[in-house]
Amino acid sequence: MKASRKWIIQRASALLMIPLMGWFVINLISIYDKGYFEVMDFFSSDKSKIRMLILILISFVHIVIGLKEIYEDYIQNEKIKNTASNITNVLGITIPAIIIFILFNINL
Amino acid sequence: MNDSKNPLSPHLQIYRWQISSLISIFHRITGIINVMGLIIICLWIGLLFFGESSYELINIFFQSYFGKVFIMGFAWSYSFHLLSGIRHLILDLGYGYEIKITNISGIIVIVGSLALTVLMWLIGRGLI
Repeated sequence: MKASRKWIIQRASALLMIPLMGWFVINLISIYDKGYFEVMDFFSSDKSKIRMLILILISFVHIVIGLKEIYEDYIQNEKIKNTASNITNVLGITIPAIIIFILFNINL
Repeated sequence: MNDSKNPLSPHLQIYRWQISSLISIFHRITGIINVMGLIIICLWIGLLFFGESSYELINIFFQSYFGKVFIMGFAWSYSFHLLSGIRHLILDLGYGYEIKITNISGIIVIVGSLALTVLMWLIGRGLI
């Protein structure tokens, strides 16, 4: 991917995450110590599911690009750098896929 | 060896510490903390899926002192990363390079991240 495109995607994803992450962190503070049914109630609502879907997709795009930038700056060995990038790509797809599957299959 | 001849950056041991380098390095550190925090939150959601008894495993942590510290730390890390990211974006657009302005914007990031954490905590706990 071209560096300029990466820059645009990284900044655009960051801007899109501001309201969603703000909403999530405030709700996280509100429910983190609550019981099973109260937390389920939060994640079971359609509003939460849609917002979490968008947040997870955007945040993992942001994470994958950001981590690769760090590898580029700090890892000198090309083989290690490529391996780290490949692992990040795989985890950057599988983790959000699993969480989205879970989110849309939990209901009170 | 397959090592690139390109220099690595930034050379943390060589730079003289100043507010701009501190903000820049902490932007990356908080990015890593956010990734780790998000993975724990993904685990939290995952355990929810497996039922009440599985959820209790992580709920013990979240109800403890360490759970509170984790949530506060995650909120601060997010706040810092957000504000320093906005600062970086403004710098990328070519503004705020004067030494006085970079120092002021750096202080705004540090103080603002603490203020934003407190604000989110008060809203989240229903105290305001």
